[in-house]
Amino acid sequence: MINRMSSAGLHAAAASQITRQQSLLAKTQSQVGSGLRIQTPADDPVAMMRILSMEQNRAGLEQYEKNSNILANRLSLGEQALADATTLLQDVRERTIQANNGALDELARRSIATDIRARAQELIDIANRRDGNGEYLFAGFSSETQPFSRTAAGVVYAGDQGVRSLQIGADQRVADGFSGTDLFLRIPEGNGAFVTATGVHNGTGAIDSGHIVNAAAWTSSSYSLNFTSGTTWEVRDPLANLVASGNYVDGSAIAFNGAEVVVTGQPVTGDSFTVAPATSKDVFRMLDDLARSLETAGPNASGKSLVSTAVAAGLTQIDQALDHLINTRAVVGTRLNTVDNAQAARDEADEQLQGSIGKLRDLDYAEAISRMNQQLTGLQAAQAAYTRIAQLSLFNFL
Amino acid sequence: MADMLNVAVSGLRAFQRALETTSHNIANSSTQGYSRQRVEMATQEPQLFGSSPVGSGVLVKNISRYSNDLLTSQLQRASSSYSRLSAYADKAGALNSLFANSSTGLAASLTRFSNALQGVANTPTSIAARQVLLSEAEGLTTRLQTYEQRLGDLESEVNQQLGLEASSITGIAANIAKLNQDIVSAQSQAGQAPSDLLDARDRQLADLASRLDTTVMRLDDGGINVFVGNGQPLVLGGTSATITAKADAFVPSRLTLAFQTTGGSVDIGNSLGGGSIGGLLDFRRELLDPARNQIGQIAVALTEVTNGQHREGMDLAGNMGGDLFAVGAVEALPALSNSGSVTVAATRTGAAALDPYDYVLRYNGSGWNMQRADTGAAVSFTGTGTGIDPIVAGGVSIVLSGTPASGDRFLVRPTAGAIRGMDVLISDPSSVAAAAPIRSAAAVTNTGTAAISAGEVLDAANAQPRSTVTLQFIDATHYSVNGVGSNLYTPGSDIDINGWRVQISGTPVTGDSFSVADNVGGKGDNRNALALASALSRGVLSGGTQSLNAAVTRFIGSVGVATSQANSSLDAQKVIYDDSLSAVDGVSGVNLDEEAANMLRFQQAYQAAAQMIRVTQTLFDSVLEATRR
Repeated sequence: MINRMSSAGLHAAAASQITRQQSLLAKTQSQVGSGLRIQTPADDPVAMMRILSMEQNRAGLEQYEKNSNILANRLSLGEQALADATTLLQDVRERTIQANNGALDELARRSIATDIRARAQELIDIANRRDGNGEYLFAGFSSETQPFSRTAAGVVYAGDQGVRSLQIGADQRVADGFSGTDLFLRIPEGNGAFVTATGVHNGTGAIDSGHIVNAAAWTSSSYSLNFTSGTTWEVRDPLANLVASGNYVDGSAIAFNGAEVVVTGQPVTGDSFTVAPATSKDVFRMLDDLARSLETAGPNASGKSLVSTAVAAGLTQIDQALDHLINTRAVVGTRLNTVDNAQAARDEADEQLQGSIGKLRDLDYAEAISRMNQQLTGLQAAQAAYTRIAQLSLFNFL
Repeated sequence: MADMLNVAVSGLRAFQRALETTSHNIANSSTQGYSRQRVEMATQEPQLFGSSPVGSGVLVKNISRYSNDLLTSQLQRASSSYSRLSAYADKAGALNSLFANSSTGLAASLTRFSNALQGVANTPTSIAARQVLLSEAEGLTTRLQTYEQRLGDLESEVNQQLGLEASSITGIAANIAKLNQDIVSAQSQAGQAPSDLLDARDRQLADLASRLDTTVMRLDDGGINVFVGNGQPLVLGGTSATITAKADAFVPSRLTLAFQTTGGSVDIGNSLGGGSIGGLLDFRRELLDPARNQIGQIAVALTEVTNGQHREGMDLAGNMGGDLFAVGAVEALPALSNSGSVTVAATRTGAAALDPYDYVLRYNGSGWNMQRADTGAAVSFTGTGTGIDPIVAGGVSIVLSGTPASGDRFLVRPTAGAIRGMDVLISDPSSVAAAAPIRSAAAVTNTGTAAISAGEVLDAANAQPRSTVTLQFIDATHYSVNGVGSNLYTPGSDIDINGWRVQISGTPVTGDSFSVADNVGGKGDNRNALALASALSRGVLSGGTQSLNAAVTRFIGSVGVATSQANSSLDAQKVIYDDSLSAVDGVSGVNLDEEAANMLRFQQAYQAAAQMIRVTQTLFDSVLEATRR
């Protein structure tokens, strides 16, 4: 309890009260003006730290969004190239089936071969496609090196097996494409287990691509299927050991070691076919081989049987390539799905972050306005009180 | 009759003094530090009239001031604390607003740099994206250097204010000494000190207390002694000492306060507390230095993480990446007073171990000891300081050479100079190492299902990380390296050769082969850019527990916390200060209404005394009248 006030103290106290009220009011006014409750770290350090880290998160999300868009764009470009390659191979498949037509003369067959060669060139162009930045889509990390080019030895790949990934979430990376190796080179050969080919060919025998009937019994090796006469066959392994033998019936299956091949036509004594382990075969070589077979086969029955073998092998190989492309397109679909899911998760996270930041930093206008009114009233009252008290002086009455 | 006249005249005189004093009070009602005065009156010694004493009027004994020494010294203490907090909060506020803006601040710069890395990762062949990255690296460097500069400006402000305060204190001390002389001589002559001089000295003491903590000792002769710091005598009666701002023992550009004696100057910077000087020194020690060290620490960690990862990458030209950032070295500053020939070379051992502190290394004649520069706390270290066994503590490694003399000291500042030496070392966008230098491949002819990982570089310094290595399976469970040896294959386990690491997983078949080779032409590779981006969010500080982002956030938070604490302490101290002020004011301040009442009282008494003179005259006249015959 203050018993005694000095006159100067009275004025100073009133002035200090008014100044304090004004500074509080100025603070509120600046909050209302900016719409922000927290303006500097000191206003609420803990909230500011959370806001900062959430803002960093949001900036990260924004970047991931950009990354996702680029990723989706690249995947779509790749998908388009894959779709075009698929269509192309389906066309080639139809032409190949046409080539097997026995009524076709040599000229027509050669025109189909020419067509296939043209399509092969088209496929090289697809495989050499670039994105908007001029980067080759299917060159691996060597994205500025043209990946596929035709040389005397066939189509060669100058790219690598690298696959670039983009970051679309804090812990989520998704590959933005495929290497040329994965797409066009590493395609299972033949039926996937073995590949058949014509060896000595004097008769009119044609072999299909065969298939595995009993995987457990299959031993991968280079076998030769020899015709010891027009009606008997034997299968020998690389060491010339006899594996199996039997009588030949046109069009019925020849089975050995869990595998089955079908020979049609009339082979003669000494004719042979090979059954070799499958590795992989690139699409370009596949098309080249097919075209060459169609071109070189003679017009007679023997030639037609060679065409028949080539067409059978070619169709099997094309189907392998188509399967491979379709599987790859499914992978693209999965990746695009991942991008979409990540997008949804990001949107949700962003909304939450935005909400939390808003709650921490944004001003509650209702509260602020009512506070401002209260402060205004206080200031006005202090001013009114001061003017009344300041007038009081005993000297006025002397 | 003459007695009566004398009594009346004594009243007139006394009330004239009283009215003069009232007038003096009214005139000084707004004078800062003025204590209202009063006239102390007493009856004059009575005269014996016959056997009974008769009053002989009034006597002005003394004109004294209303003051309470206890309240006054309380106010001085409150003022000292208040000034300290006020100076501290003022400077903290400046620091706080420096780091306030979240959209242009350090955190935002760091995020933009990290996003630019992602941009390069998105399109590693794009020169534009690489240019953006370099610009953002420049931006981050500039941002850090701007902060460093602003912190330097704050330090200069502190220096400047310390200089001003030192000369103010010296001036005030001289004033007090002069007032002491006047008061002592007045007291010895008149037996009483003039109130106005006492007021003036109290004002000077209050002024002094608002600048630094003082201890005041009152002397019997009316003088006072004033001590500061660890008992240094600033004022001794009529003599005063000099306080100067002088260069710090280690850093000449940094000022501290020194007490001048005949034998030289004594550094009292560390023993001063309170007042605006205490506030400035505390701010420098508790906020400014740590802030500089912390952003320095962030810069060092940024440099270490970025450079380390960048060196493991490959640029567009196929060369291994170099350092992206340069950063200033550890500062080891000898004290000016060192007499030995010892020199110190200090390097950092790694950001994880780095602390944001400065250390003082001192030779005690037989060995070295180490202290925190700010708190003086002992720091334990390992090693002896030789080249093969350096002193290691707080993330620095210190090698001493030469012969030390006892008492030689060095200030070791691990991070303070880091930002000043910061620079972006790469100007050619194609030199950004976005790619990894190696790539792996599986032979196309492989028939097994085994796959090889992309591979990562562990040791960029390895002599031949980029020479081709072929791993070929000699059976399903063993592989040879470049056609040599037989290593057991464990699916998914690490295979470390030539400073890189790959994993092979799946089921291989005899003859399957894999290769790791130079990533020549790998311009589209973004692995190192991704690694750089994720390195920024990896724990690198505080023993590898804190990421750069977290460190930035924590730093800004700590500035905010310190500022808000300073502000609330200031608010609390203001209440105490205001209370002390009004307590003193309540005793010493002039109340005009009171003076008006006094004026009326004294005026009436004066008039009554004058009336008494008239009555005396009338009485005298009647005696004259009665005797005229």
